[in-house]
Amino acid sequence: MTWEIFLGILRFLLSTTLILLLTIPTAFVVIQMELKVIAGTQLRFGPNRIGPWGMFQSTIHGFKVLAKEDQIPDQADRATFTLAPWMVYMAAAMSMLVIPFAPGAIAADFNIGIVYFFAVLGLSVVGLLVAGWASYNKYSLLGGLRSAAQMVSYEIPLTLSVVGAVVLGGTLNFRELIEWQQQHGWMLLWQPIGFGIFYIASLAEINRTPFDMVEADSELVAGPFTEYSGMRFGFFFFAEYVALFIMSGIMISLFFGGWLAPWPFPAQLGGFVGTIYGVFWFFLKTYIFIAVAVWLRATLVRVRIDQLMGMAWKVLLPLAMVNLLLTAVAVLVFKL
Amino acid sequence: MRIPGFGILKGLRQTGRNYWAPKVTNQYPESRPTMPDRWRGRLDLIYDPFGEHKCEVCFQCAQVCPVEAIDMSGFDSTGKRIRYGLPEIYDERKDPNAYRRAGLPAAPMRNAARWDEAIDAPWLHGVIDGFGGRPEALVAIFSAVEERYGYLPERALHETSDRMSIHWAQIFGAAGLGGFRLLPSDGHLVTVCTCAACRFAGGDALLEAIRADLGIGPGESTADGSITLETSDDVAAGALSPALRVDTLVYGPLTVEQGRHVVAERRKAPVRQRIAALVS
Repeated sequence: MTWEIFLGILRFLLSTTLILLLTIPTAFVVIQMELKVIAGTQLRFGPNRIGPWGMFQSTIHGFKVLAKEDQIPDQADRATFTLAPWMVYMAAAMSMLVIPFAPGAIAADFNIGIVYFFAVLGLSVVGLLVAGWASYNKYSLLGGLRSAAQMVSYEIPLTLSVVGAVVLGGTLNFRELIEWQQQHGWMLLWQPIGFGIFYIASLAEINRTPFDMVEADSELVAGPFTEYSGMRFGFFFFAEYVALFIMSGIMISLFFGGWLAPWPFPAQLGGFVGTIYGVFWFFLKTYIFIAVAVWLRATLVRVRIDQLMGMAWKVLLPLAMVNLLLTAVAVLVFKL
Repeated sequence: MRIPGFGILKGLRQTGRNYWAPKVTNQYPESRPTMPDRWRGRLDLIYDPFGEHKCEVCFQCAQVCPVEAIDMSGFDSTGKRIRYGLPEIYDERKDPNAYRRAGLPAAPMRNAARWDEAIDAPWLHGVIDGFGGRPEALVAIFSAVEERYGYLPERALHETSDRMSIHWAQIFGAAGLGGFRLLPSDGHLVTVCTCAACRFAGGDALLEAIRADLGIGPGESTADGSITLETSDDVAAGALSPALRVDTLVYGPLTVEQGRHVVAERRKAPVRQRIAALVS
């Protein structure tokens, strides 16, 4: 009994450490992808000097950031100024805990995983707001407020769009939701409207183009990051790309069958081989969605702030409500 | 009909096509583009078709450069190193020791005895003041000096520079362009034009014939001192090619025979008398 508790604690510490360590290479890979894909869409080669095919460019960028001077403005609130990047980064890293990579490869497989995920992801709003306030800079403060408004607004349709899937699956656990999809087919087929809302809202939630209002350079300099330099800025930057990875991962878990292959999962694959198989499919799908997000960034321009807020409250929120209502009625009528 | 989101799809199609399209970036150090023959990507002194500098070191470009980006040096007709640049650098150049530090001869190569001939400074000041010290009178002042000395002594140019507060380089540039003689000579100065136009029109043959007649090469004087032969790119003949200049008179276009005749005729006339006659 006591041994089981000890093993559970050990497993938790090990998995959280692994997840925390995983965020760094993930950010490097996603940033590298962004550099290469955007270069490709602009008829450039992109980075191709460091390492084979330039694959270490983003890594070098990361270490360069480490070597830079870290400045704190005189009037800044030192404690919160120091804390803000940590909060944003930890929000991203903590939400990675519940991502189902493969059967048996979930850092924390608990029964309210979806609630936990959206709760923790919302913490990054606090980090951005604190960063904007602590910088003692008008641009930072305005940027922080604006990003808070954006992220809080989009969290509502984002969460509501998932509730439909939760009602259908009857669970808040990611693993069980994927197992439900194994029997009934991808959630995308059941919840197309929910997926559409989720996709748009998730782009806004992680501040991706065309909703990257946090860093509207021409209006707000660099938003809440204006006064940040060195590795403190690096944390914000990393968190952004880790969040992109997490959002893609959650999206495929909710709507695209997570670790499931597009064809029926071979029942005889279990244990370690099954885990590897699942991890392969999980990463393949996730990186396809990251590539699409980067592709969108290379294509679209930034929307205006009023268009952004209007879309959240006037379009996405009613749509999500209707979607939830239809799903609930269908569940009741067809006894799904 | 406008379908919402259709524009986004069109944009995505464009960027997606671009991603798979051939890239246009030049991998510069590895692959260098082949430039056309007449490509002038680098500032350089331009050579004429015969491989000689077109630059006359007249400093006109340096004088007019609005951002004072041109800092140039070269050799004047005495083989002396001249330079156009910031005044303080220029002052150092005037120091004779600067020549020696640079390993250059401090004395002029030809007519060394009369090159730095003492001049009548009060008279020169009078001439300059007579023109009110106006820069546009520079050519007239040079004419007066040449009338008196038969050439423009360097000390006179220095004195003019000091009196009129004009850079030495500018004074030298103006003197070099005006057809004035910068070297003392007991005899006539025969200058055969070697600009590209004259050489195409037969200037080389003209020069060869005169060299054969006089028995001297360019830059040399005859044994009796009556003629000094020079070549120059700026006899300013233009449509007169091929041309030559005797003292300050330009002749052209000339056949070889005409050229030999002109030189032989001019050789008989005394130099200073001719100049005096010209001015009066």
